[in-house]
Amino acid sequence: MKTKKIFFSFLVTAASAMFLTSCDPTSGEQANPLISTGVFVLNQGSYKNNNASLTYYDLIASTVTTDIFTAKNNRGLGDTGQDILKYGSKIYIAVSQSSLIEIIDAVTGVSTKSIPMLNASNQPSQPRSLASYNGKVYVTLFDGHVAQLDTTTLTIQKTIAVGSNPEGIVAANNKLYVANSGGMGLVSDSTISVIDPSSFSVLRTIKVVINPVVIKADSYGNVYVISNGNYANIPYTLQRIQAATTEQVSIIAGTKPLNMNIDGDNLYLYSYDLDANWNPTNKSYTIYNVKTNTLSKANFIASTAITNTPFSIDINPATKDIYIGETDYSNTGKMNVFGADGTFKFSFQTGVNPCKTIFITK
Amino acid sequence: MMSASVFSEVPDIDSLHIHHLDEVNVNGQALKIVRSSLPLQLFNETEINNLNASTITDVAKHFAGVTVKDYGGIGGLKTVSLRGLGALQTGVSYDGLMMSDIQTGQVDLGQFSIENIAEISLSNGQLSDIFQPSRMFASSGLISFSSKMPEYKPEHSFSGEVVAKVGSLGLINPTINLFDNISKKWGIGLITNGLSANGEYKFAESLNNSGTNQTEKTRINSDIKSLRTELNSIYRITSVEFITLKANQYYSERGLPGPDILYSTFSTDRMLDKDYFAQLHYENKNSNLFQYQISGKANSAFMEFSEVNPAYQDISDNKRIDNYLQHEYYLTSTVQFHPASNLSVSTSVDWIYNHLETHSNSGLSVDASPIRNTVLANLAVKYVTDQLTIAANALYTGTRETTQNGNAAPNRDKISPTLSFSYKLLSEKELRIRSFYKNIFRLPTFSELYFHDLGYVNLLPEITNQFNLGLVYREPYISLFSDIEISLDGYYNLVSDKITILYGMPYSSIRNIGSVEIKGCDATLKFDIPLRNNNKLKFSGNYTFQLAQNKTIGSANLGEQIPYTPFNSGSGSISYLCKKFEGGYNLLFAGKRWNGQNISNNLLKPYIEHSLFAKFKFNKFKLTSEIINLFDSQYEIIKNYPMQGRNYRLTASISL
Repeated sequence: MKTKKIFFSFLVTAASAMFLTSCDPTSGEQANPLISTGVFVLNQGSYKNNNASLTYYDLIASTVTTDIFTAKNNRGLGDTGQDILKYGSKIYIAVSQSSLIEIIDAVTGVSTKSIPMLNASNQPSQPRSLASYNGKVYVTLFDGHVAQLDTTTLTIQKTIAVGSNPEGIVAANNKLYVANSGGMGLVSDSTISVIDPSSFSVLRTIKVVINPVVIKADSYGNVYVISNGNYANIPYTLQRIQAATTEQVSIIAGTKPLNMNIDGDNLYLYSYDLDANWNPTNKSYTIYNVKTNTLSKANFIASTAITNTPFSIDINPATKDIYIGETDYSNTGKMNVFGADGTFKFSFQTGVNPCKTIFITK
Repeated sequence: MMSASVFSEVPDIDSLHIHHLDEVNVNGQALKIVRSSLPLQLFNETEINNLNASTITDVAKHFAGVTVKDYGGIGGLKTVSLRGLGALQTGVSYDGLMMSDIQTGQVDLGQFSIENIAEISLSNGQLSDIFQPSRMFASSGLISFSSKMPEYKPEHSFSGEVVAKVGSLGLINPTINLFDNISKKWGIGLITNGLSANGEYKFAESLNNSGTNQTEKTRINSDIKSLRTELNSIYRITSVEFITLKANQYYSERGLPGPDILYSTFSTDRMLDKDYFAQLHYENKNSNLFQYQISGKANSAFMEFSEVNPAYQDISDNKRIDNYLQHEYYLTSTVQFHPASNLSVSTSVDWIYNHLETHSNSGLSVDASPIRNTVLANLAVKYVTDQLTIAANALYTGTRETTQNGNAAPNRDKISPTLSFSYKLLSEKELRIRSFYKNIFRLPTFSELYFHDLGYVNLLPEITNQFNLGLVYREPYISLFSDIEISLDGYYNLVSDKITILYGMPYSSIRNIGSVEIKGCDATLKFDIPLRNNNKLKFSGNYTFQLAQNKTIGSANLGEQIPYTPFNSGSGSISYLCKKFEGGYNLLFAGKRWNGQNISNNLLKPYIEHSLFAKFKFNKFKLTSEIINLFDSQYEIIKNYPMQGRNYRLTASISL
C-alpha cells in the first residue's frame, strides 16, 4: 500500500531524528584538574538561568577548565554569582539568587559548606559582596544587612542592618565601609555605612553621591567609591574618602568609571558609554595614582583592545598583570590579560558575565 | 449535537464550489483543507477531545510547524510560534474576530477550555477565504477557534452539557454550557468555566548540566483560580444573514512560579487578570453578487503583577505591585463582490483604538499612557475554478500614536502583499500543489516601546517574509483506509528587523537587531480505518523540520539555531471510536534545542511525552479518564521551567 509506505517512512524519519539528536555528545568537562598557580574567574551567569560558574585557568599549563565548581562538586554553583574571595585556605563565593555563601577548599576546589542566607521571614537575603578582616568574612546582603561569618566555625555569627541594598564592602582603617546603593528603591541611597568590626555595629554613615556601588581601599587607608548616579543627569562619579578621622569625601573629576580596582599605588578604572544601538563605545582604561592623587595614565589600554563590554577588572598582585573580563551578557565571556604596561598578553574563554578574578599562588 | 458552529461556518467561494461538485460524500472540512492555497490544519470537536488536551495550546502542540513554549503547570504561560517566526507574529482569532494584547502582544490561550470549543485551526500566512476583516490578514499566521453553538432543531430547542473535570495538581474544573434556540431565528448560549488548582507537582531537579545528579523538588506558587463566562447570541434573519453577539468575562488569580532556581524555593510572584470583551457581528450573504459584514468589539483588560522581594526595602511589605489597564475598541466592515462566477473581490476597512495605563508602587515604571489608533485597509482578489485557485491581496496599515508622558512611537504606514495559488495536478484526484508568498510585519507592543528603561520608542516593525511550496492530497477511500489527508510543505522564511532585548548595564534595552532565516518542512498525515458497525480507528501525525538560523551580521551567534526551536518535532495520535467507547494514545516529541548560545550548557534535551485516554459513553453520560505523560518523562520546554511528570485527569459530563 502506497499510503502505508508513506506513513511508515514518516515514522522512521521521526524516530531516526529522535535517535540522532539524543546521542549528540555533550562536551565534557576536563576531568578533575589540579589547582596550582592559576586564577579563578567567577562568572555571574545570566540572571535566573542557574548558570553561575567558576572558570579555572592554570597559569603554568595554560589550560582552562570552564566550570571547575561542577567538575569538582558534580553540581552547579547556582544562580547569579556576585563575588568571590580567597581567605586563608578557603574560597568564599556569594551567590545572590540562590541566596547562599558557597565555601570551597582553595586546594581541592571541593565544597566545604554552603550557607543558605535567609532573613527572619525565611526570604532570601541575597548576598552581594565579600570582605575579610581579622578572621571573619563579611557579606553584604541586598535586603539591607551585613552578615559576619566566622571562618573557623564557618557559621554566620551576627547580622546587622545597614542602608538600602548594600553592594560593595571593604576593610580599611580597622573598620568596614559599606556602599548602600538603594538600587531597588524608589529613591537610591547615597550613604556609606562605617562599621566597627570588633563590636560589629554601625558607627556612622558618610554621605556620598547617589547610588554608591563599588568600594575599594588603598594601602594608606583611603577609601574609593564609585557612585552610579541616576543614569540620567547624575553620572558615574569617583570619590575618595580621606583616611583621616574626618573621613572627608572629595570627588575625583575627569572620569566616569563603571568599575575599578587597586593594586599598590595604582587605581585602575574603566569607563564606556552606550551608543544608540546599545553598543559600548568610547571605552577607556585609566590609572589613577593614589599617592600623587592624579590621573597618571589615560588610555593605558587601547580603546579597541576589548570588543564587547568590559565587565570586571582585577590585578594579579604577583605579576601585576591586569585581568579584564568582557561580556555581551548572553554568550560565554572572555578574560583578557594585559601586562602592567597595558600590552595584550593572552585571553581565555570564561562563562557568561565574568565578574571577578582571584589569584592562587603555589 | 454540538459539533456545528455557525460562527466557524463562513461559506466562501470555495464552499460555493464545493456544493457544485458531483463527488459523493465529500466532507466540507476536508475539502476546505485540500483546496486552501495557504496551508490549513484543523481539528474538529471529536478530534480535539481525543488529543489529551485541556486547553487550546495543548491542541496547538499537535499542529505541524508549531513551537509551543510551555512554561509548565496549569496556569503557566503557553505561547505559540509558527514556523520559527516567534510567538508575537501569531494572530489569534476567536469566532471570526481577532483578539489582542497590546501590552505584551500575547493572548493568553490558556483561558479557553476545550469544553467550549467547536473547532481549532491553524493557518500559515492567513486564511484562504478572503471575506474577512483586514485584521485577519495582518499577522504571519493565525490560530482560529470557534465556540460551540448548536444549529436550530425544531424538536429540541434547549441543549447543553455539564462537565466536571478533576485531576492531578489539585485540578477542579467544572464547565456548564447551555444553549437555547428560543425561536427558529434566535438562539442564545451561556458558557461558564471555572478552574481551581493548587498547581503543585514534584519534579526531578538537575543539579548539574549532564543530568547525572538529580534531586526531587516540588513546584510551588503555581496555583490558579479562574472563572470564564461567556454569553453568545445569534439572530438568524435568513440562513445567510445573521447577527451575533458575544459578551465575555474572564477572571484569574495565579502564582507565577518563575524559573526553578538551584538551592532556592522562594517564589512569590502573582498575577491577577480581569478581562471583559463584547463583540457584535452582522453578516449578509443574501445576494450572490454582493456580500458584506460589519463587526464591532470593545475590550478591557486589567492585569496586576505583584512580587515580594526583601530587597524592596522602601515599599510596604516589600511588595511591588504593578497594574496595567488596557482598552481596545475595534470596528470593521468587509464587502465582497462576485463580478464573475469564478472571481471574487473583497475589501475591508478596520479601525482599532488601543490605550494602556501603567501604575506601579515601585517607581520602576513611568506611565507613558500610550494611545495607538490603527487603520487597516485590505483589498483581496480571488479566482477559483475546480482546478485552480489564485488569490492576492494588499493590506495597508497606518498607525497614529500619542502618549501623555515622554515621546510617542513614530507613525507607521505600510503596505503588505500576499500571493497564493493552488493547482489540481490530476483531474480525477484531489492532489494539489500550493504555494504562497506573504510579506507582513508586527508592530512593537506597548511594553517594547514604553516599558520603563527597557522600552525604545523608535522601534521599527518586525518584518517577516514567507515562501511556501507544498503538496496536499485527499482521498476518500483506498482499500482499508478512508478519509486520507496528506500534506507536505517546504518553506523559507525570513525575519528581519527582529525586535530583540539587548542586555546591558545599568539596564537592558530593546532594538531592531538582526534577522532570522528559517528553512523548514511540515508533513501531516491523517487517515481512518473503518471497522464494522461504524466503528473506526483514526490515525494522525505530523512532523516538522526547522533549520532556524540567526543571520545577524556581526553577531556572535551568527549561523546558530535560534533559541527554543527544535530541528525535529512532531506528534502522533491513534484513537479507536465506537458507539460506547473511545480510547487512544497521543505522542508529542521534540528534538534537541538550545535556550541561547548553541553550547552544551544551554542544551535542552529531546523529549517524548506519551498519553492515553479512555472515554465511556452511556446515553447522555460520558466519562473520560486520561493519563498524561505516561512514562513520567522529566523534561523542560523552557529552561528551568520543569514540566509535570505523569498526571491524571477524570472528566464526567452529562448532556442536557
